[in-house]
Amino acid sequence: MDPPAGTETSAPASRGLTRRRARLLRWAGAAFRSVTTVVALGLVALLAGLVVFLLRGAEPSIVRFGPGFLSGTAWDVPQGIFGALPPLEGTLITSGLALLLAVPIALGVALFASEMAPRWLRGPVGYVIDLGAAVPSVVYGFWAIVVLVPFLSGTIEPGVARLTGGVGPFAGPPRGTDLLAAGLILAIMIVPTIAALAREALRSVPRDLREAALGVGATRWEATRLAVLGPAAPGLVGAVILGFARAIGETIAVALVIGNEYQLPSSLFSRGVTIPSWIVNAFSESYGITLSSLYELAALLLVVSVAINLGARLLIGRWERRRGRGHRWRRGTSGLATGTTAPGSGAPRPWFAAVIAARARRLRRRRVVQALVLALVVGAVALAAWPLASVIGTAVANGGRAVVTPSFYTSEPPPPCGIGQAVCPVGGIGPEIQGTFIMVGLAAAVALPAGLLAGIYLAEYARRRVGTLMGLVVDVLLGVPTILIGVFVFSAFLTYDRLDDQSAFAGAAALAVLMLPIVAKSTELALRTVPETVREGALALGFPRHRVTLRVVLGSCRSALVTGLLLAIMRAAGETAAVLFTAGSSVYWATNLRTPIGAIAPFIYDALTVYTSSNYGVAAWGAALVLLLMMAAVTLAARLAVRRTDAQRGT
Amino acid sequence: MAPKLEVRDLNAWYAGRQALYDVAVDLEDRAATAVIGPSGCGKSTFLRCLNRLHEEVPGARVSGSIRMDGSDLAREHVVSVRCRVGMVFQKPNPFPNLSVFENVAAGLRLLGVRRRDELDQGVADALVHAGLWEEVEQQLDAPGTSLSGGQQQRLCIARALAVRPEVLLLDEPCSALDPIATAKVESLLARLKREYCLVVVTHNLAQARRISDRTAFFYLGKVVEVGATEELFTRPAEKLTENYVNGRFG
Repeated sequence: MDPPAGTETSAPASRGLTRRRARLLRWAGAAFRSVTTVVALGLVALLAGLVVFLLRGAEPSIVRFGPGFLSGTAWDVPQGIFGALPPLEGTLITSGLALLLAVPIALGVALFASEMAPRWLRGPVGYVIDLGAAVPSVVYGFWAIVVLVPFLSGTIEPGVARLTGGVGPFAGPPRGTDLLAAGLILAIMIVPTIAALAREALRSVPRDLREAALGVGATRWEATRLAVLGPAAPGLVGAVILGFARAIGETIAVALVIGNEYQLPSSLFSRGVTIPSWIVNAFSESYGITLSSLYELAALLLVVSVAINLGARLLIGRWERRRGRGHRWRRGTSGLATGTTAPGSGAPRPWFAAVIAARARRLRRRRVVQALVLALVVGAVALAAWPLASVIGTAVANGGRAVVTPSFYTSEPPPPCGIGQAVCPVGGIGPEIQGTFIMVGLAAAVALPAGLLAGIYLAEYARRRVGTLMGLVVDVLLGVPTILIGVFVFSAFLTYDRLDDQSAFAGAAALAVLMLPIVAKSTELALRTVPETVREGALALGFPRHRVTLRVVLGSCRSALVTGLLLAIMRAAGETAAVLFTAGSSVYWATNLRTPIGAIAPFIYDALTVYTSSNYGVAAWGAALVLLLMMAAVTLAARLAVRRTDAQRGT
Repeated sequence: MAPKLEVRDLNAWYAGRQALYDVAVDLEDRAATAVIGPSGCGKSTFLRCLNRLHEEVPGARVSGSIRMDGSDLAREHVVSVRCRVGMVFQKPNPFPNLSVFENVAAGLRLLGVRRRDELDQGVADALVHAGLWEEVEQQLDAPGTSLSGGQQQRLCIARALAVRPEVLLLDEPCSALDPIATAKVESLLARLKREYCLVVVTHNLAQARRISDRTAFFYLGKVVEVGATEELFTRPAEKLTENYVNGRFG
C-alpha cells in the first residue's frame, strides 16, 4: 500500500504507518502550520492597528492644523493652538547629543569586551554590559535626578559656562534640568545598548579570520582592524542605529530631567521637551483637540522611528552587497608587468632586506599603537562604568535597608508624612509587586506562546518574500517606542470615560504588545542557529515536518529560547511608559483586575512626580533596588543558559 | 646540518585537558615534515604551538621549549614569531572584506611596506610563488572569497609567503579541497619544500608519503616515532606505527 501522495511522511504505509495515521499526521502538520501563520499575521494586524489607532486619534489635529503642525511652536490649550516643532527639535538635539557621546564609548567598550580584554575578564564585562542595558529607564531617571542633575548644575555647567563664556549652546543659568541633562542620561542609557549589540557583531566574526590575521603576524589590535572590523561593520552600524532609535523613543528618564517647558531650545542649558516626554507629561490631563495633537505627536514619533529602522535596513543591505571591493591594482608600476623581474625566481627583492632589517624597530612602534588603542578602550570602559556603578551604589545606599526588611514586601506604601512628624514610616511596595506579577504574568501567558509560534513561522515556514516582509514587521514593532504602545492600547481598549477603564487588563495588554515582538524575534534567531543538517537528519528518519520543529529544532536551541523569554519578561517588569496610563495607578492591594493597579516601575515614577511627599524616597529607592536585583538575576540566568549552550557546542 | 626547529619537552593543555605530552621533534630546514596520526592525537595542537597560536585559545597553556636556529621562541615577541613562522589553516580563510591583492598585501603592510611598487612586486611574487598568478591576474580586485576553494587555499599560502617566513605550517591544507585542487597544492608544496622548512599536518597517509621527507607519527598526544618518510612507512620501528600506516586502526 502506497502512502497518500503529497504526505509529509516518507515511511511506507505498509510498514506500520496506516493510511489513517498518515492522514492524521498530515492534518496535524497542516494545522500546526496554519496556527503559526495566523499568529504571525496577528503581528501584522498589531502593527496595522497601531498605525490606525494613532492616525484615528490624530485625525482632528491633522485636519485642523495641516502641515503647519510641523512648524508650529505653541502648545496653547486655552486657545487650542498646537505645533510640534519644540519637541521635534528637542528630540533630535537630545538624541543627537547622546549619539555623539555614546558611540565612541560604546564601541570602545565592545572592543574591550570582545577583543582586547584578557580572556577571563571578557565574560564578566559582557555581563555588566547586559546588566547596564537591562536597567529600567525609570531607575536611570531616578538616579539622574538625585546624582546627575546636581552634579551638572553644581559643577559641570558652571564650569562649561566659565570656559566658553556662556554663549551659544552654553548660554543661560545652570539649572541641571535641561537638554544637556537629557542628552547625557540618554547617552548613559544607550552606551550599554549599543555596546551589547556591537559586542555580538564583533563576536560573530569567525575565529579563523582572527587567527588568519594573527598568523601573518598582526598584533591584537591589527588583527581586529584587519579581520574583524570589516566583517562586523554592518552589525556595528546596526547597533549604533538601534541605539539612536532607543534614544529617540526614550520617555521616562528624559521626562524626569529635561525640565518640560514647551519652548524652542535656545541652548543646551535651556529647559525643553521631547516628543515622548511631552506625551507622557500631558497625556493624562488632555482631552479634545489637545489630546488629538498628542496623538499626532505620537504618530510623528512612529514615523521617525520606522524611518530610522527602514533606513538602517536599506543602508546595511546595500553595504553588505557592496563589500569586498579592494584597492586598485595599478598595472605598469609593477616590475613584473614591465618584465623587469623574472616571475617566480623566488629570490627576495632588494628592498625586502631593508624591510626585514626594520622589523624589530617597526614592531616596537606597532606595540606602542597597540598600547595606545588599549588605553583608549580602557578609558571608554571606565567612562561607561562610572554611571552604572553610581546607579547601583546609590540604589544600594538608599534602598538597601528597605529591601532587607521583610515588611517592605508585604506593606502598602506609607501615607503622606507631615513636616512635623519626627519619624516617617518607610512602608513597602507589596501592592506594586503584586501588580507587576499580575500584569507580567497575564501578558506572558499571551505573549510567550504567541511570540513562540510567530517566531516558528518566521524561521521554519515563511517563504522568502513573505518572510522578509514579516521580518520587517517584527523589526518595526521592536523599534516602536514603548510610550506609543501605551498610547495605542489606551486608545484601543479604553473609552473616553478613561479613569474607570484603566485596569490591570489594559496594562497587561500593553505589556503583551511590548513582549510579543521580542519573543518572536528571539525565537526566530534561536531557531536559525540550528543547522539545516539537524532538520534534514530528522526528516530523513521519517519525522513529519511539524514534529521536527517541535521536538528536534526547539529542543536543540532550548536555552537560547529560554534566554529570549527571560529577556522579554525582564523588559516587561521594568517598563514604565507603556503601563503608566493603561494600568493607571494605585497604592492599594489589587482585588479586581478591572480597576487601576500599581506596579513597581510606575510606582517609582509616580513617587517622583505625583506623590512627592518626602517619605516616598526610601520606598522608591527600595523599589528601584528590587528592580535592579531582578534584572541582575535574570541577566545572570540568561548568560548561564547561553554559556551552557556554548559549552555543549564546544565553541 | 642543525635542524631549523628543535622541540623539546613540549606539553600543551586546553582548559585543564592535556593535549601534548613531552613532545620532542627536530624539524629540518629545506624539507617537508609530515605530521600524521588519528584524530585528536594532538597533531594540530603541536602545529599551533610552533607559531604560538595555541596561546590564543581560551584556557590554553603550554610548557617546554621550541628553539628556532638555536634561540628560544618563547623569548621572542609573539608577533615576530608569527612573521617568521607562517601558517595555513585547514579551511581556507581569506579576509572576506579584502580583495585578492589586499589579502596578499596584508602581511607586507603590517611590516611597514608602503610604497606602491614594492607592494605590487611583493604581491605578484607571492602569487607567482603560490602558483596562483596566472589564474587571478585578471581578478586582483575581486574579493578574496570569490575564488574557488582550491584557489582560496593557495591565496592563503600566498598570503603567508608574502612576508617570506622561514617556516611554513600547514594544517590539513587539502582536507577541504577536491582532488584536482589537492594535486595543485601538493605540487606547490613539493616546490616550496626546497626553500622552506615545511610542516604539514595531514590525515591522508598517501599524501604524507608523496610530499614529505620526514614524518612524525603522533598518538594520544605523544610522538611515537619520527624518521625519514620512506623508512617510517616501510620499516617502522614501532608496532603502533606499523599498525597505523597499514590502516589497521585510526
